[in-house]
Amino acid sequence: MIRVQGLFKEFDDPRSGVFRALDDVTFEVRPGEIYGLLGPNGAGKTTCLRILSTVLRPTRGLVEVDGINVVRNPEGVRSRIGFMSCNTGIYDRMTAWEMVEYYGRLYGIPEEKLQARITEIFNVLQMNDIRDRLGGKMSTGMKQKVSIARTIVHDPPVIIFDEPTSGLDVLVARAVLQAVSSLRDQGKCIIFSTHIMREVEKLCNRIGIIHRGKILAEGTLPELADKYQQPDVEELFFDLIQRREEEVRNSGANSEA
Amino acid sequence: MSWKNIRLVFLREVRDQLRDRRTLFMITILPVLLYPMLGLGIVEMMLTFSEQPRVVVILNADDLPTSPALLDQSGIGEEWFENGAEETSKLRVLAERTPQAGNEEKSARRPRRGEKTDEELLAVAHQLAEKIETLHGLRPVADESMEATATPQPTSAESPESNTSSTISSTDKTAEAASTEAKLTAAQNDISQQFGTSGFQVLVIIPKGYRAAMEAMQREIQTSSSATTGVDAKAVATRVPPVLVVRNSADDKSMVAFGRVQKALQSWEDAVRKFSFEQAGLPKELQHPARLAWIEVALEEQVAASVWSKMFPALLVIMALTGAFYPAIDLGAGEKERGTMETLLISPAKRVELVLGKFATIMLFSTATALLNLLSMGLTGQQMSAVMSDGMANRVSLDFPGLAPLAWLVILLLPLSALFSALCLALATFARSTKEGQYYLTPLLMVVMGLTMFCLSPAVEMTPLYSVIPVVNVALLLKGLLLNSASSGNLVVYAIPVLISSIGYSMLALWWAIELYNSEDVLFREAEKFDIRMWFRQLLRTKDAVPALPEAGFCFILILMLQFVAMTYMKPDLTNGDPGLTMMRLIVIQQLTMIACPAVFMGMLLTTSLRATFRLRMPSITAMALGVGLAIVAHPLTVELSQFLVEHQVFPELPESARQVMGLMKTGDKPTWLLLLVFAVTPAICEELAFRGFILSGLARGGRLAIAVGISSMMFGIIHMIPQQAFNAALLGLVLGLLAIYSRSLFPAMAFHFCNNAIATFHAGEGGRIVADGVFFSRDPDGFLRYDAPLLILCAIAGTLMIMHMIKVVIRDQDAKRRGLVPDFRDLTKGEEVIA
Ligand SMILES: Nc1ncnc2c1ncn2[C@@H]1O[C@H](COP(=O)(O)OP(=O)(O)OP(=O)(O)O)[C@@H](O)[C@H]1O
Ligand SMILES: [Mg+2]
Repeated sequence: MIRVQGLFKEFDDPRSGVFRALDDVTFEVRPGEIYGLLGPNGAGKTTCLRILSTVLRPTRGLVEVDGINVVRNPEGVRSRIGFMSCNTGIYDRMTAWEMVEYYGRLYGIPEEKLQARITEIFNVLQMNDIRDRLGGKMSTGMKQKVSIARTIVHDPPVIIFDEPTSGLDVLVARAVLQAVSSLRDQGKCIIFSTHIMREVEKLCNRIGIIHRGKILAEGTLPELADKYQQPDVEELFFDLIQRREEEVRNSGANSEA
Repeated sequence: MSWKNIRLVFLREVRDQLRDRRTLFMITILPVLLYPMLGLGIVEMMLTFSEQPRVVVILNADDLPTSPALLDQSGIGEEWFENGAEETSKLRVLAERTPQAGNEEKSARRPRRGEKTDEELLAVAHQLAEKIETLHGLRPVADESMEATATPQPTSAESPESNTSSTISSTDKTAEAASTEAKLTAAQNDISQQFGTSGFQVLVIIPKGYRAAMEAMQREIQTSSSATTGVDAKAVATRVPPVLVVRNSADDKSMVAFGRVQKALQSWEDAVRKFSFEQAGLPKELQHPARLAWIEVALEEQVAASVWSKMFPALLVIMALTGAFYPAIDLGAGEKERGTMETLLISPAKRVELVLGKFATIMLFSTATALLNLLSMGLTGQQMSAVMSDGMANRVSLDFPGLAPLAWLVILLLPLSALFSALCLALATFARSTKEGQYYLTPLLMVVMGLTMFCLSPAVEMTPLYSVIPVVNVALLLKGLLLNSASSGNLVVYAIPVLISSIGYSMLALWWAIELYNSEDVLFREAEKFDIRMWFRQLLRTKDAVPALPEAGFCFILILMLQFVAMTYMKPDLTNGDPGLTMMRLIVIQQLTMIACPAVFMGMLLTTSLRATFRLRMPSITAMALGVGLAIVAHPLTVELSQFLVEHQVFPELPESARQVMGLMKTGDKPTWLLLLVFAVTPAICEELAFRGFILSGLARGGRLAIAVGISSMMFGIIHMIPQQAFNAALLGLVLGLLAIYSRSLFPAMAFHFCNNAIATFHAGEGGRIVADGVFFSRDPDGFLRYDAPLLILCAIAGTLMIMHMIKVVIRDQDAKRRGLVPDFRDLTKGEEVIA
């Protein structure tokens, strides 16, 4: 469903010329599976997911979503994915219903089908009481619900979550995670980035640990525990990152010497 | 591109804006309310703060002749004013009369707080009168002295033109001997100060015995005219002493009152003259020997038109921009700020569709704002003029302009607001936040305001050149069309270039906005802190082989500013020595210090490879040949093109300074090598180093060669200042840029530049010994060598072929580079052999 192979992303940096945010990233996500992208701040998670959603172009490498290349047919990819992040904003002067409706129309869903679909989503997510509330007057939890509704209004086979729980309280975060896991049960192909270990442990079928643009380790949780001989994800995470940091420091020292 | 998506985005944005109370208020409610409120305010002000009556003191009023009488019971008689009672009421006349029982009570007027009583006023007036008369030697000490110093002509003495100032100058010389200069100024200061605090604005001093003198004069004229004896009229006249009218020109209140008194006195004087003539039995016609009649030809609607022709274009331009300003910031930067941009970009709508939807929204608001403002102001103006013309003799009617000008208004508004909308959207998209958006848009607003002010000047009229300058073209065309519907036939011709160029500019701006939406750097720019010291250190530390884009831009601005400074401060001193040599020396100095130096220094400071920056590589022989060949074929084309443009008045004639330079080439007293050195070698080296070297290298870094060449040639044109030369330079700049990119070397461009200038130098020098054969060459009446159609066609074909060849090669190289076969600019320092 999602195929990323040898992906590089470089940004022009005023200081050092180019900054490599993604360095030879390779992974695959299959339908009915949640792939967790685990990494500290600035690891390159958002960059990677933005490339998947075609708003950034890869510098090099192959990226396919549902068999469609993100560079050759970005519109095709966009109509097959849902994307949600902690800061995908809500229009202040639009009601919840209008907002979801607007995106539904942009996705080209026929009108009757769209109305039925929105009604269904509003029922499932229990959003009928905020139906006519303006975005500017919603709480963060309500906004997040609207975001989820917007993400799934066109029933996409692939859904991308970029730290969807950041800034939410426990209750709302829990609701969001439940929504994610029920989407997986519907057979969606889900990629989920976070820096919170517990979420990964609870939710993800497979994880990739990313740091400084490189995937350090990848596999199911038991596989990783086996391979690196660490009791839990947290230890594994720290260990890997520490090792990588040391590597970088050494190579830096070598090149300077 | 799907219209459905554009419409969806458009409808959402419009609804969003309509729900935004601030925007709605700024661009719709405000204009609708603003003008009527302003109008009401003005009318109110006029009613409340109607002009206060000004005080006029007339000393010795008893001595005024009674027939005709200047004064009546309430002051200066109504009949002496153009507008009768209305003006009488604006002057409070305090006439000094010898106390009589009846008069006393009437003039006793209760002064308000802070005001002086009539008695006090009169006392001050007397003091002043004394001082003034002594100062100007008018104090009638004795009969003889009065005759000696008083201004002689009776008419001018009576008429208020003989105010104090004219008397001063005539008496100054006589007084100089007696009193020193210092005393005089002291006295004048004293008078001025006292007058300022006197409480009255105009002082009229009727000399003692004025009435008697007048009557005597009238009698004398009577007898002389009936007896027709040769009595000297001058002798009669001098016996009438002058009426002094004192005013303070520096004080507006005094000037307004003085204007009224002056008019009244003039018409009174006319009446006195008429009376005297009648008494003497002279024909009435003598009074106005030159019969004059004034006829007004302006129709009422034309008066209105001239008011509207100034207001409407200015308002239209500024309001169209204001109307675009606020929605654009909200739709561009606001979307980024709220984090909704990314969501929108993830929707399947194409970027073009998003931009067009937003653009249409902004344009809707821009047009609506402009039209609402015009409508509201027009209606208010009409209403106000109706209200005001009741009370005042104000015949300006502000009726709306006719249908045809209004239709033009709407037609021209559309491309204008399209341009503004696209520009605002692009700038607002570029901004990271709404605040930054305002920073970017404010300069735009200022520039547009400046252009509009320029168009308001009555001296500025439509020319072919103006018809293609954005904003100016629309404003000027509208001004002309509104001013005079009769002569608009001539102007309508300009509508085509105005519309085409305006639409062109808006398309360009729109294209830019779409480009920005396609650029991930712009959409995901992070707001970063800016530290000038850090930045500068970074700049010097992180050098590249070739300059960065902003560095190229800065180099251009530096050169431009230096040119500007040179224009004001480096005026050649042509008075001594050989003016030609001085001028030539100056040209060389300017080229070296103001064009070559900045580029070379910046190159040394900011790049690691002078070789890559200035393209100092061996060119192929083909490239050199192309440079020379192109210069040869381009010359006749540019000469004829610029002649054509000058003849059709697209560009003004060359200014004097440029013609002097041309003259240098013509006179032929300078050796050829010197001319070539100054006009061909120096520019070829200096200008190429700067424009095809540093600047083009920096610009080309963006990877878009066509744009880089276009912009560098535009910059090249701009520094030539004079429109005609700038145009030429910009055109040639395109070829030069192409040459440089094609050959990856600066030398072919230098060769082109050198040949082009050398040929031009010979051409200016009467074209050498070329014989006019009428087929290829001819000469115009000034002996200027001109080129004929067959030659031009040949040149055009040859030029096109060469350019096509270069473009083909450049495109091929670009393709190769994209496929990674050729190292990009970072490796150019070492990798140039790959190409050659
Ligand atoms: N548009 C951009 N231009 C330049 N550098 C960028 C840009 N976007 C991201 N980066 C850099 O790329 C790196 C990775 O950023 P990214 O946002 O992908 O990290 P992340 O893993 O999502 O971190 P976080 O947990 O903080 O969200 C960061 O160092 C960031 O500074
Ligand atoms: Mg992130």
